[in-house]
Amino acid sequence: MSLPNDKNGNMSFNSQLSAHLFSDLLDSIIVDVASECHRTARLGLDCNLEIEEEELRLSAEARARLSDPSNGGDVNGKYIVDIFGQTHPPVANDIFECMNCGQSIMAGRFAPHLEKCMGKRDSPLQL
Amino acid sequence: MRGSVNRPPTPEAEDGRQDQHLSLQEIINIKLVESGEKERLKELLRERLIECGWRDEMKELCRSFVRKKGKNNVTVEDLINVITPKGRASVPDSVKAELLQHIRSFLGSAAL
Repeated sequence: MSLPNDKNGNMSFNSQLSAHLFSDLLDSIIVDVASECHRTARLGLDCNLEIEEEELRLSAEARARLSDPSNGGDVNGKYIVDIFGQTHPPVANDIFECMNCGQSIMAGRFAPHLEKCMGKRDSPLQL
Repeated sequence: MRGSVNRPPTPEAEDGRQDQHLSLQEIINIKLVESGEKERLKELLRERLIECGWRDEMKELCRSFVRKKGKNNVTVEDLINVITPKGRASVPDSVKAELLQHIRSFLGSAAL
């Protein structure tokens, strides 16, 4: 295989060819990187991307919930909404049986009841 | 050659290539591949590009494109188009020089 005889011609041909070969190699590596990123993205293997998308989604939801008028951000009537969207009445209204006298008592009223209840153990008013 | 069969003669080694004249470039490319030098050069380039952070830059470009377009709407073509201009422009001079030197010395040895 012979290259052009002229030294100058030789060099520029060589340079051109070298540059072309280098571009070839570079383009081939670019395709590799692009293809790998594509695969990573499509298979959801990029953890950071997944986490970011999830966070964006959650913050959008939270914002929607806050701006939703039916939730009543701060105080709506007697009920305050906490971050889980639950409401708790100011007076606990679970009802149970007093273990002393057997009456049905509201939880929020149990302490005052016990004060009276425990003091009447042997009273004739006991039910 | 039988006259009843109408087809161009099968190219043979002695005939040389009838329709294709392999350019010098193609011949060199074949030599490059056959000798394994092309693979070695590609590995060298890949290593240098990783070391200097070029690959990370390209991956970040891809990631932000994917974020914008949505991961299921992206094709490999898209990503190639995204990173090619920046990719070609941001190869460090030292890396390019090193590779060109290797290529030129291969060309020199191949000419002998």
